Amino acid sequence: MAQEPKDVLVRMNEDLQRALEKAPEDRHWVMVIDLRKCVGCHACTIACVAENKLPPGVVYRPVLEKETGTYPNVTRSFLPRPCMQCDNPSCTPVCPVSATYKNAEGVVVVDYDECIGCRACLVACPYGARTSDFGYTYTEELPVLDGAIVGREAADDYECAANYEYGKEWAREGHRGSPIGNARKCHFCLHRIHEGELPACVTTCIGRATLYGDANDPDSLVTELIKSPNLIRLKEELGTEPRVYYMV
Amino acid sequence: MKKKTSTKLLDFKAMNNATRITLLVGLAAFFFGIFGLYTRLFVGEREVGYGSYVVWGLWVAMYLFLAGIATGSYMLAALEYIFNVPIFKGTGKAALFAGLVTMPAALASIGMDLGHMERIIKVYLQPNFFSLLAQMVWGYTLFLLVVIVTLWLAFKQKDGQPTGTFFKIVLWIGFFMSIFLSGGVGALLGVNASRPYWTVGLLSVQFPIFAFASGVSLMLIVIGWFMHFKDEEQRYHLFRWLGWVAIALSLSKIYILWAYLSQAWYSQIPDVMAPLNEILFGRYWFSFWVVQIAIGTVIPLVLHMIPKLAHNGTWAGLIGLMVLIGFAAARTNIVFPAMSVEMLDGLPNAFFGPHLSILYTPSNLEISVTAGVIGAAILAFVLGAEILAVFNKPKMEVK
Ligand code: SF4
Ligand code: SF4
Repeated sequence: MAQEPKDVLVRMNEDLQRALEKAPEDRHWVMVIDLRKCVGCHACTIACVAENKLPPGVVYRPVLEKETGTYPNVTRSFLPRPCMQCDNPSCTPVCPVSATYKNAEGVVVVDYDECIGCRACLVACPYGARTSDFGYTYTEELPVLDGAIVGREAADDYECAANYEYGKEWAREGHRGSPIGNARKCHFCLHRIHEGELPACVTTCIGRATLYGDANDPDSLVTELIKSPNLIRLKEELGTEPRVYYMV
Repeated sequence: MKKKTSTKLLDFKAMNNATRITLLVGLAAFFFGIFGLYTRLFVGEREVGYGSYVVWGLWVAMYLFLAGIATGSYMLAALEYIFNVPIFKGTGKAALFAGLVTMPAALASIGMDLGHMERIIKVYLQPNFFSLLAQMVWGYTLFLLVVIVTLWLAFKQKDGQPTGTFFKIVLWIGFFMSIFLSGGVGALLGVNASRPYWTVGLLSVQFPIFAFASGVSLMLIVIGWFMHFKDEEQRYHLFRWLGWVAIALSLSKIYILWAYLSQAWYSQIPDVMAPLNEILFGRYWFSFWVVQIAIGTVIPLVLHMIPKLAHNGTWAGLIGLMVLIGFAAARTNIVFPAMSVEMLDGLPNAFFGPHLSILYTPSNLEISVTAGVIGAAILAFVLGAEILAVFNKPKMEVK
């Protein structure tokens, strides 16, 4: 009897554990997004917002929607857009203080403690993949209900509690401290990866459309997938060499 | 240094009406700016109109504008001191002083735009010199020092004395810096392949010419409104020649603008056409057609051609002011529309939140801060120049 194929999540998890045994510079993280499977549920967007405690106005992975054709021949297509983790990024050389750079694993990171908030990198990114943190919270305008067990304050506490981007604690205290005032972007959930967990968008995707792994591992799922002929990368003509592939 | 009529440091009674009105306008603008400056410095950046898609707004545009005046003024001073151009004789100190005032104003305007202003020191301590932004911060800081040294040397030099070697060396350094830095701000935009409208050829080369033109316009204001002449004949001669220079510059401005816009138009590249349509027929039409073209270019050109008006101090100052307003609008028309395009189809509608729009209008906070910065610059310029007697025009032959 033929062996039951593994769920891709299980397989990606195994791929991840193998990759973590290697030195960081030997890993080549890539993401493959199967657009044929994306149903436009935006679960990945929300998972990312929750994982990184993103405030209003900051988004790492929006899902773009497009309607083509005229009734009755109409199609709706979806395009999740994380940071492309370009191999030749236009966002890093423009940074006046080298606060954003490609790390050893090839992920483009932002050092929140160094970033001066000039937004030159936002201007330079051709994918609009960076957003600025202007210091909002979702709950600040809500009324506090007297006597409610869980009211605004509890939600507030949750929002202002630290997130763990780049493996450090970033609490939202006051209106000024980093990451407020900084450029922010998707970092392939490096903090989760280093703990042996897949990125939040990958584990949340209900269509198993977002796939992730080490393209330097010949046995990984993504290595298998990026050999397919039906792959595209966004704005490839700019020479940015994105590490995010779309299956069409 | 000799004061014109009074031994007092500042004699408001001795000032002419134009100086008094300018001081009042400066004061009003500064007071209006206090709200913005306070909010920006002590509350934060939330109330701004720019955001993550229209990334740079009014403050960046004003930085380009004010830095243009600073470098342009220096070019003008260099023409007097290095090349001894007679038509610019006697304007050197005022031009240098204008540079000294507008440069910090430009840096203040761009400083307001930083999410973490207090970290600006990092650009000096750990610069990435490949970044044009770092180059500009360093370049303009050094330029400010050069302006200070030049002004100091200009004050030491007696009228009519030949320029000393050290003075000349400093002037040459400053002259080259003013050309490269004024072009550099254009390159700061032009290197972004992500914004196709800025990558149209000619973007950065127009900046030094526009900078020089804004320096000349400022001088028209200074000569027309503020300068104390011992001999009205001198003022008349200066206007005549500066008028011709201004006409030549206006014509080159029109030519460059035509070359740039037509090149963009005929390319028919959608990402280039989108901002262009916004400028010519969309959101920014008023700023382009009315402020930049009509008020900033055509009307001044026509007025220059009417000798009765062009040689009258009040009108000449007004012409200079109109050209400067046109340049300010031109800067906004370069910065804002280029970013009012969807980086990817549907991106602005994919996620909603504050500062995630491609429609930009400067907020009250931005306008207030800009008014405050410009108001402070006007006050510093007029008061400082009166105290230092920069507006005292020595008697000289102008052929
Ligand atoms: S997608 Fe944009 S932010 Fe991400 S690496 Fe590429 S250029 Fe940089
Ligand atoms: S916003 Fe921060 S990361 Fe981006 S270019 Fe400026 S300093 Fe660098």
